[in-house]
Amino acid sequence: MPSDDTQSSPAMEVSRRSVIRGAATAGAVGLAATALGGALSPAAAASTRVSAPAGGDLKAPSGPIVVHVRNAKSGDIEVFSGTSQTRLRDKDLAARIARAIG
Amino acid sequence: MSSHREAPEISKDPVADSTDVYAFVSPDQPDTVTLIANYVPLQLPSGGPNFYEFGDDVLYEIHVDNNGDGQAEISYQFRFSTQVSDPDTFLYNTGPIESINSTNWNRRQFYDVTAVTGGGAQVLGTGLACPPCNIGPLSTPEAFYPGIAASAVHGLGGGISVFAGQRAEAFYVDLGSIFDLGNLRPFQNLHATFGLPGLAKAPGVNATNNLNVHSIAIQVPISAVTISGHPTIGVWTTASRQRVTVWDADNGESVSAGPWRQVSRLGNPLVNEVLIPLGKKDLWNSLPPADDKQFAGFVAQPGLATLLPVLYPGVFPNLAALVKSGKPRVDLEAILLTGIPAGIIPGFTNLTGSVVADMLRLNTKIPPAKNPSIYGLLGGDPAGFPNGRRVADDVVAIELRAIAGVTYPLIDKQFKPDAAAGLLTDGLTPADVSASPLGHFPYLGLPYSGYNEPS
Repeated sequence: MPSDDTQSSPAMEVSRRSVIRGAATAGAVGLAATALGGALSPAAAASTRVSAPAGGDLKAPSGPIVVHVRNAKSGDIEVFSGTSQTRLRDKDLAARIARAIG
Repeated sequence: MSSHREAPEISKDPVADSTDVYAFVSPDQPDTVTLIANYVPLQLPSGGPNFYEFGDDVLYEIHVDNNGDGQAEISYQFRFSTQVSDPDTFLYNTGPIESINSTNWNRRQFYDVTAVTGGGAQVLGTGLACPPCNIGPLSTPEAFYPGIAASAVHGLGGGISVFAGQRAEAFYVDLGSIFDLGNLRPFQNLHATFGLPGLAKAPGVNATNNLNVHSIAIQVPISAVTISGHPTIGVWTTASRQRVTVWDADNGESVSAGPWRQVSRLGNPLVNEVLIPLGKKDLWNSLPPADDKQFAGFVAQPGLATLLPVLYPGVFPNLAALVKSGKPRVDLEAILLTGIPAGIIPGFTNLTGSVVADMLRLNTKIPPAKNPSIYGLLGGDPAGFPNGRRVADDVVAIELRAIAGVTYPLIDKQFKPDAAAGLLTDGLTPADVSASPLGHFPYLGLPYSGYNEPS
């Protein structure tokens, strides 16, 4: 698994628009958490579910986080954790994820 | 089948595939109703070493609408968890299972029950044990299995009892014949056979005999599920999965996340199976009964009613004329989608209102029958289907006959059903089910043993 968001792994050798799993491995969670941190900046992204406290720490969920890039070009992203679902629109995040999987 | 493998997507997901729903006033506890939802269809009892079980990643629910809006006012939720004592053996059990707490039993399931109402969620029970699958005389000795299964009936207080685990399939149907282009063995000498050689009539074959299912059963006081002035409840079951499941190759397991989404639904038997067209079945499974207005046309103009006169030439002339007239089958809409209004059948109604919704409607004021008819209301027994559904009711014959026009005179007294309509059957009765039902909760018979079946 990647140690940061610029590496790829066989497990992620899937379609760019397919599901990426940010599971209990540190690298993957790092990818999701880092990316979300950027995504949650109000200036950078629109979210239908959550907003980040200004300057606050992001509390990572204990379970898996699954990111679904529905459309990399438009930045349409779904994030699943626990029984919740968050819809984001963040072209930068989508681009970073796309680069991460090569 | 009632709803076994009835839609393309759910047929690939057996643990979430509902097969039958039963709802009836408990014959031995007439101040209660028993609600049963069966899952995991067509289990070959010998199917080891990983015997059948509920899905830990599935949300199972039994819903009750008690005000006729097609929405659940009460939902009983069931969530399962599997525990493995010894992961270093391939065995389901390492010796005879002689009690529900046997240390020889290696892979067990437990479940939680929660009642969800408008007032919130109330946990009714946690860590409730399922019984083991019935494996054979060495693993699940006959001397012990009935007692083990009985100890898996849990009282939750408030007059509520639950059971979840393997039982014998009680639904009887000649699958092999019916899905061979609508053939009914007792009448196959009259089938068109598409120019192929004719078939001599023959007795039905119960394709689901000697198979098991996984049952979720709950018995609750009638007073807990009805509201004043509304004795009729609508019942259905759903199974839901979280939106995303990923195969975690590192840990060799699936991981799920996201909100629950409904993947299976069942109220009245055979509705999604026979009335809803192939291209709509998966959609139907994903929606609540309150959204069923969009499907009402498939009930009002059922494809099977068009097919019967074609498959059996000259046998159903009056049905053919009715179909040709284009008149909506208001009788079927009442039976399946709204309930039967008062004044149609003397002394009987199970109308829930004007909302079109596929639910199993049970008028809880109708007491259990002393001499039940397997043909339910068609047999003059208002305590049976389509007033709820009892374990032995012949829902295949009832629905075949209704679709063939037997019930149309309820709304058009001038219509004369074809003589054959009232005789339609796949040739089976409860006598074609090997396992005897119980006279008490959970009513379904003990599961068939893998050692004995297939025999």
